[in-house]
Amino acid sequence: MANRARFLRTATARNLLILVLVWELVGRMDWIAGGALPGLSEILIRLWVDRGDYPSHIWATVHASILGFLIGNAVAVGAGVLFVLFPTLLRLTRGFNIAVFALPPIAIAPILVLTLSGMAPRITLAALGVYFVTMSATVVGLSQFDSRAADVVRAYGGKDWQVMRLVRLRGAVPDILSGLRIAAPNAVLGAILAEFGGGGRWGLGTYLLGSLGRGEPARLWGIGLVATLIAGLSYLVFAIISARTLGSTRSVTLNTAIPDAGGGTPGPLPVRLAIFAGAALLPFVLWWAFIRLSGVPDLIAKTPLGVVEYLFLSDTSHIARGKLLSALAETLPITAIGMIAGLGFAFLLAISARMFPGFIKTFMPVALVTQTMPLVALTPLLVLMLGRGTSVTLWITISVTFFPAFVLLVQGIQRVPQTVLDLPRAYGASAWKELRMVSIPAALPYLFAATRLTVPRALLGVMIAEWLATGTGLGNLLNQSRGYLDYGMIWTVAAVSVCLSVAFYYAILLIERRTLTRLGMQTVE
Amino acid sequence: MHHDHGIHLRAVCKTFRGRGADVEALRDMNLDCAPGSFTALIGPSGCGKSTAMRIALGLEDYDSGDVRIAGQPPAAATAAGVTGVAFQDAALLPWRTVARNIALPLEVLGRDPAKYGHEIAKLIELVGLKGYENSLPGQLSGGMRQRVSIARSLITGPEVLFMDEPFGALDQIRRRQMNVELQRIWLESESTALLVTHGIDEAVFLADYVVVMHANPGRVIDIIEIPFERPRRNELYSAPEFHALCDKVAMVLHGE
Ligand SMILES: Nc1ncnc2c1ncn2[C@@H]1O[C@H](COP(=O)(O)OP(=O)(O)O)[C@@H](O)[C@H]1O
Ligand SMILES: [Mg+2]
Repeated sequence: MANRARFLRTATARNLLILVLVWELVGRMDWIAGGALPGLSEILIRLWVDRGDYPSHIWATVHASILGFLIGNAVAVGAGVLFVLFPTLLRLTRGFNIAVFALPPIAIAPILVLTLSGMAPRITLAALGVYFVTMSATVVGLSQFDSRAADVVRAYGGKDWQVMRLVRLRGAVPDILSGLRIAAPNAVLGAILAEFGGGGRWGLGTYLLGSLGRGEPARLWGIGLVATLIAGLSYLVFAIISARTLGSTRSVTLNTAIPDAGGGTPGPLPVRLAIFAGAALLPFVLWWAFIRLSGVPDLIAKTPLGVVEYLFLSDTSHIARGKLLSALAETLPITAIGMIAGLGFAFLLAISARMFPGFIKTFMPVALVTQTMPLVALTPLLVLMLGRGTSVTLWITISVTFFPAFVLLVQGIQRVPQTVLDLPRAYGASAWKELRMVSIPAALPYLFAATRLTVPRALLGVMIAEWLATGTGLGNLLNQSRGYLDYGMIWTVAAVSVCLSVAFYYAILLIERRTLTRLGMQTVE
Repeated sequence: MHHDHGIHLRAVCKTFRGRGADVEALRDMNLDCAPGSFTALIGPSGCGKSTAMRIALGLEDYDSGDVRIAGQPPAAATAAGVTGVAFQDAALLPWRTVARNIALPLEVLGRDPAKYGHEIAKLIELVGLKGYENSLPGQLSGGMRQRVSIARSLITGPEVLFMDEPFGALDQIRRRQMNVELQRIWLESESTALLVTHGIDEAVFLADYVVVMHANPGRVIDIIEIPFERPRRNELYSAPEFHALCDKVAMVLHGE
């Protein structure tokens, strides 16, 4: 076992070394897009030359990320505790939570810049980036407590809040920490995307954008490398903390008690309908309240009604609608194609993992590393290499969907016990038959989960590419509207892209439930 | 008779209404444990033993009947710190040391654990875990964890002690050792004890009265008095009278 681990580690190190050498060779020879990919040494030299610029940019991004991380997580943990204590509240805020999860940050960056000032847009976007992950982790952690320990507390007359304090909160710490681990790079990504949205002189995102037009590949790559490093480090810090605390928190024996079935009684139909309506309306109420509270004039800040008026009731509505529809017609097909390609590729690769175990074992670490990279923030690098055509959009979409989907699928398949995997083979099934009987069904729930997870990312990737490079679709419309001070359109694009993202999410969820119920499987979170 | 520190269940009924089928867990359940007595509740699995105990602890509502623990309704008795409880699984908090796990009931009852340092040390010694005060549950064996949970059940100085298959997870040899220790601890504490078990020999070895239950619906079938002198020793396990009583319990248990 130790030997195997050592072999794997040396294999990974070897592959990494080969990668770096190939990179250096390709870069030095200017083989890709006329030098768009410089050699590693060139990048490092450029980093050294630019060393005076970095501290201010890094500090601006890190500062906003940290503040957003702290605020977003404080709100998320607080909300998680409330949701667990009052499940109705969770159902009531479902629309809001899904909207926060699904919103493409780039779409709301401009409206944050319009309504808030200074660092606030960056902090807000960083906070939004961490909220959903940490909130879900908190809810999951608090829900999966040891019911026997809770019984001990209740058996001494302990109330719900005492169970919360003595058993559940501490028990949720590992889950919350692993949430923070995933949330930390999100905060960095949010801060950088807000910098794309405008405002401010400093920040890695600003630096990246500013350098995009100057045709200095080595600098762009240097910035990308630094951004990745910061995000990776933030992940690592929480990975280490969470590894340290895990041991002392896991229950030492298996809980065999019957789980409480009465947990979330939905109540009579009218109440359920009221909660559903409330959940659907709440995001719009919050939007409205946000504008009223921020005190930004009506001309600049549009309420939900303002957007409806802009799109349907004013003299120029038909022009606005026309622009929006043609932008959607450009954005949606490419998003769909990119997603299908990325997911399909991940699915094929993951289910064939059994056939090429060696390849997966060396490829998996690479895929895991990309999980902590602010991939979409590195879009300028892809623009550099692939030019400003449609292909860049496609590649970005494929890469932002492929990696998370692949990791999720492989981990899902790995949960299938080895004996189940071996069974068909023991009866002499062919590799193909085994694939059809075991691997594909085992991977299916994870394929759905991956689809839900990657919809917002795909949309985000496409919009950023459109914004920065191709000059088409929703992303471009958003960027242009900023230039024309077309406030109505800025708000419209933001609202429409969030709504689309949420609608896609629910559409997939619906198909997922139908399909998996028919196959007698469970959805995975 | 309601003002003693005994356990009294009178005509208690309880039906679990789940999705689909209802389960009648208890029908007209009667149980009287005299103050200072040791009662073992035995029956096939699923006959409602745990449910009866959970009702007595106020962890579960009941549909009808009357329950008195030391003269009070369950919720009042538990909140007053009259009861102690040990479950089948040690149910220790994995992040708390042995000493702090034992102190848990004190914290729930709003008492200051710092004032009980002496009691905690004494209990740790009583259950034979001296030197393990600051160990985490993950570092202990199953038997040791179970002894921590026994110590925890005694920290409040309970007048009424509930135990639900406290040694269910242990092997036969450790279980017999623990039975001897439990008897010693209980004799010192002078409390009223109710032990839920499905081990016939364990019930006969420990109890003054063995209450036999049947399932569907859960109800008491018979009460068998166990007259052996205390303290009972390991030799009892091989005595013919002991086996005769075990056979008698088994016969009632299997409905003959
Ligand atoms: N929370 C619950 N919800 C539904 N049914 C339950 C619940 N707890 C126990 N039961 C049912 O009540 C019956 C008695 O259970 P229990 O008291 O645990 O039995 P025992 O402890 O004697 O094995 C069983 O049929 C069990 O399935
Ligand atoms: Mg039981």
